[in-house]
Amino acid sequence: MTLKPPSVSRRGLLTGGAAAGLGQVAAAAPATAATAADDTGTATVAFHGPRQAGVAQDPPAHAAFAAFTLAPGADRAALGRMMRLLTDDAARLTQGVPALGDTDATLAVLPARLTVTFGFGPGLYRAARLPSPVADLPKFSIDRLQSRWSGGDLLLQICADDPLTVAHTQRMMIKDARPFAAVRWVQQGFRRSPGVQSPEHTQRNVMGQLDGTANPRGGEIDPAVWNPDGSSTLVVRRVRAEMETWDKLSVTDKELAVGRRMESGAPLSGTLEHDRPDFAVLDETGLPKIPDFSHVTRARVEDPRLKILRRPYNYDGVPDASGVPDCGLIFAAYQRDIVEQFVPIQKRLAEKDLLNEWITPIGSAVFAVPPGCAEDGWIGEQVLA
Amino acid sequence: MKRLAAVIAAVLAVTAPGTPAWAHAQLMFADPAKDLTLTVAPAAVTLGFNERLRPDFTTIVVSDPARQRVAASPAVVDDKRVTLTLTGTWSNGTYTVAYRVVSVDGHTVQGSYPFTLADPNLPPAVPAPPSAAAAPASGGEDGGSNGPLIGVGAGTVLLAALGAGLYLSGRRRSSPQAGN
Repeated sequence: MTLKPPSVSRRGLLTGGAAAGLGQVAAAAPATAATAADDTGTATVAFHGPRQAGVAQDPPAHAAFAAFTLAPGADRAALGRMMRLLTDDAARLTQGVPALGDTDATLAVLPARLTVTFGFGPGLYRAARLPSPVADLPKFSIDRLQSRWSGGDLLLQICADDPLTVAHTQRMMIKDARPFAAVRWVQQGFRRSPGVQSPEHTQRNVMGQLDGTANPRGGEIDPAVWNPDGSSTLVVRRVRAEMETWDKLSVTDKELAVGRRMESGAPLSGTLEHDRPDFAVLDETGLPKIPDFSHVTRARVEDPRLKILRRPYNYDGVPDASGVPDCGLIFAAYQRDIVEQFVPIQKRLAEKDLLNEWITPIGSAVFAVPPGCAEDGWIGEQVLA
Repeated sequence: MKRLAAVIAAVLAVTAPGTPAWAHAQLMFADPAKDLTLTVAPAAVTLGFNERLRPDFTTIVVSDPARQRVAASPAVVDDKRVTLTLTGTWSNGTYTVAYRVVSVDGHTVQGSYPFTLADPNLPPAVPAPPSAAAAPASGGEDGGSNGPLIGVGAGTVLLAALGAGLYLSGRRRSSPQAGN
């Protein structure tokens, strides 16, 4: 299925995520519309296992990232109680079973590939009097961070192919977290709805770029994302798109800033999306075809073990009175080690990346992703038990 | 005097920026100048633009008649100018100067122009490969982002402009203008 230019109109990009989930489940073969829609609602992702779900799977269409600030005095024992409760909620809801005390049980029966992934911020380890495996990112010159989108002691990444499922899950779990923690921020985002595009397509972001082409794939994911104990780390950055000025660029300007063709996603040195960018290729005047200041040049990681798994969602808030959009990317990146993998990339981008002209990081948070758990266990037991 | 004023006005009309919708960087002078034939190899190439250059976002390369890059020290940016000191060896033939800079407003501007070295102390030029013939003044296959190239030498700008005016007036019509 080839995406034709008319189908990526601005209108399509902005309304694509708001449409209700129709179409086939990622893993399912194309089917008739009726059965495909049914499958989308009932599809589940296993919750239990040595690694948490919601990381290596194809990202569903909708997500809420909910960050919490622990209540003063929340100690290790209290955190253990909280995580037992929240684990039980997630284990049930992800399988289409109402949470205990679910006040709207009928909303729980269509999980639509629901995953709930837990992240522990540095503050959680402080509260538990334990050394934290993650630390806040260093300050970058491009950052314009707002506290309303930054930090957090606990994170729930809630993803599903249906926004009502996400909303219900978010409400149930916040309710159960309330005795232990206050909501710090919630970021809601979207990708293409299921069935709009086949899952192997790299999706476009609100800026029209194919986003995630360089992600580790298949066998590359494990060594880049997971530690031997089944843990990982997560960086969540809110990146505002400066659409007013981005809109003034020609396609060529955009391509030189990104280093890839806007339509195909191919590097300027090649012809296909997954062609390996070759920074030595010159045009007929002697200039490198991919500018040295392009995003691709600066972000490129060749060593598969040092790649990061980007799992980004678009956000599109309410425009201001004059029509200036409030949109951008909830940039979620998973990797074994933030300092070894994420920080060097972000440093290079902060130093020099023409795309910085049109993107502004306004939120930043880091989380350890504890291992998954068995059916009789709970997320965080290795840390908090 | 009236006549001179009219000529100046005409020249300015021709050489003034091609009414871009907003301010893009434009090449204002080049040394060596476009299409110039030199009898001594230049020690450096200097390009001057109409706005401040950002060193990290400024690329300038010189390619020899065989389309190989001429060795050079890292380019030095000084406000609106960039200078590339050339350290390589020379042979006679047509060279290409190519630049890529980023405007204050973030637009990438790139272009190229040829000059020729005909040093009597060097062996005569080897015929260049067909595709290496003088690159278009603006635009390669990435084209579309190029400001108008004004091939005036680094002399008194007005005098040079006066001299080049009629010449340019013929060329600029055929020179592709930035479409953005």
